[in-house]
Amino acid sequence: MRAANRKLRDQATLLMLAALVVGSALGPMLWAISTSLKNEVNAVSAIPSLIPSPATLSNYLSVFSHKTFLIELWNSILYAAGAVVIALAVGIPAGYAASRYAFPGKRVVMLLILATSMVPGVALLVPTFYLLDHLGLLNNRLVLVVILASRIAPQTVWFMQNFIDAVPLEIDEAAHMDGASRRQILTRVVLPLIRPGIAAVGVIGAITTWNDYITIAVFAPDTAKRTLQVALVNQVFDAVGISWSFTMAFALIASLPVILMFLLVQKWFIAGLTAGAVKG
Amino acid sequence: MDGDESKAPPSVGTVTAAKAIATTQRSRARRRLRELRPLLWFVPVLVLLLTVTLYPTVFVVWMSFQKTRYYDLAGFVGFANYVDTLSSRAFWETTYTSLAYMAGSLVLSLGLGVLAALVLNSLKRGGAVLRVLTLFPWTLSMAVVGTMWLWLFNPSYGPISYYLRKVGVAPGLMLGDPELALWLTVLVTSWWSFPYAMVIITAAIQSIPTELYEAVSIDGGSWRAKFRYVTFPHLVPTLGSTALTLGILYLTLITLLIVLTGGGPIGATTTLSFEVFRGTVQAVNIGPIAVYSIAILLANVGLGVLYMRLTGRVTG
Repeated sequence: MRAANRKLRDQATLLMLAALVVGSALGPMLWAISTSLKNEVNAVSAIPSLIPSPATLSNYLSVFSHKTFLIELWNSILYAAGAVVIALAVGIPAGYAASRYAFPGKRVVMLLILATSMVPGVALLVPTFYLLDHLGLLNNRLVLVVILASRIAPQTVWFMQNFIDAVPLEIDEAAHMDGASRRQILTRVVLPLIRPGIAAVGVIGAITTWNDYITIAVFAPDTAKRTLQVALVNQVFDAVGISWSFTMAFALIASLPVILMFLLVQKWFIAGLTAGAVKG
Repeated sequence: MDGDESKAPPSVGTVTAAKAIATTQRSRARRRLRELRPLLWFVPVLVLLLTVTLYPTVFVVWMSFQKTRYYDLAGFVGFANYVDTLSSRAFWETTYTSLAYMAGSLVLSLGLGVLAALVLNSLKRGGAVLRVLTLFPWTLSMAVVGTMWLWLFNPSYGPISYYLRKVGVAPGLMLGDPELALWLTVLVTSWWSFPYAMVIITAAIQSIPTELYEAVSIDGGSWRAKFRYVTFPHLVPTLGSTALTLGILYLTLITLLIVLTGGGPIGATTTLSFEVFRGTVQAVNIGPIAVYSIAILLANVGLGVLYMRLTGRVTG
């Protein structure tokens, strides 16, 4: 009887702790959602309450009708999509060759890719700004996309190499016998087989790029080139004129694509985080 | 092309021999070239990384040896920037802030990560779904995380200061308090990144053979004994590698600091990376900033190499 009681109590403690874990992760987000549904007066009431009353969608409507919102949304989409396309375009052939060929110098090439992945974006701020400034390439959309692509390129190569490693070599050989060239083997045979992997890498890269602030903020001071993330931070800088309910709605809208993409590929996302991180 | 030899007149033997040697050399070179052909597949990614990453990396080293005025390079000065920077108080204070920020965030996010992993992994059902929900903060951008918490920490209207007042604690300036700002920043950083630690630690826990737990059970051990003698020893390598990954992240993190504190109040949250950002946009004299950049670069590479030694793997 006592043992049963203790088991019940342990179970209750466990559930409480689980609620605490999930609650502490989601709590701040709930507060943001709550604020975004309040009107501007209630958002700064003396007694903060989690339930907005009256609840209103006006902040969301104001975000959508804000004069620069659409261009910022467009920039965010353009940069994320552009960076992912470039990263895949350079990463897929490299990943294929890394998986399928042995050649002199392969080690050097792979080490070079690894070395560049160890260079943090921070260390590149000053020299890249200097170079872009002197070349007249600040505020250039294509340059921004290329820089963002370079940040996700190394991981794209490794992911692709791993995915292609999982495709049996016999499939390549069979296609070769049928007279397919190397390029045809890659594009017609191997790539269709790893399509889910490509989608996952693309989405993870898109999340990283979408969430970037610093690259765009530093290399594109022009407001017409900025993204949702940069626009959000700029609202915070305007400490006096800030409307917190509007800003929270803005932050949530800017996060929605990321959360949706994450839910879409969460299994891959988690697999990607843990790949090689565990050592038994 | 390979038929050259046969066409050569047989009378001029020396010429033929020379030609033959030249041809074998040529075909060897050609074979060598063919061996290198797979390299072509790497050309696009190498061009990208060499121009966008490696070239600026070399350039920042070059900059660090230059006398600078704003964004102009005004001649070679040897190690002057290094001497000036490394002998300045500001550099070491900033380094100390970076280390304190990294250490605090590591302790808190790994602690919370282990706790969350153990709790959600012990649930009979629903653990996987709750883990996905708990992972939400990690997917948010630092700009969004910073903005949300800036509002939560708002000294006048935020819920945190409200409840602090309610229980009789004066909330003060919160992020505006030089004594408190760094630790509140640590708290936000950990909220954002503990889910990452949780996911990795969960995978490590799930890789522990269940027989080991059964053995402890048979010996009459409690859950505490199980953690002490089975779980924890198995987690140590994973905790080490996660600490390195997160350490690199914390060392190079800027955006969260820009939003939460702007490096202040009075420099209380100015880390090495934040100083590089400030120096880049203010651009008064970028020579010393190049030295800061190199310090971060070296620390990053050091931690990255340590990670590879520890895991035999590359960082993601």
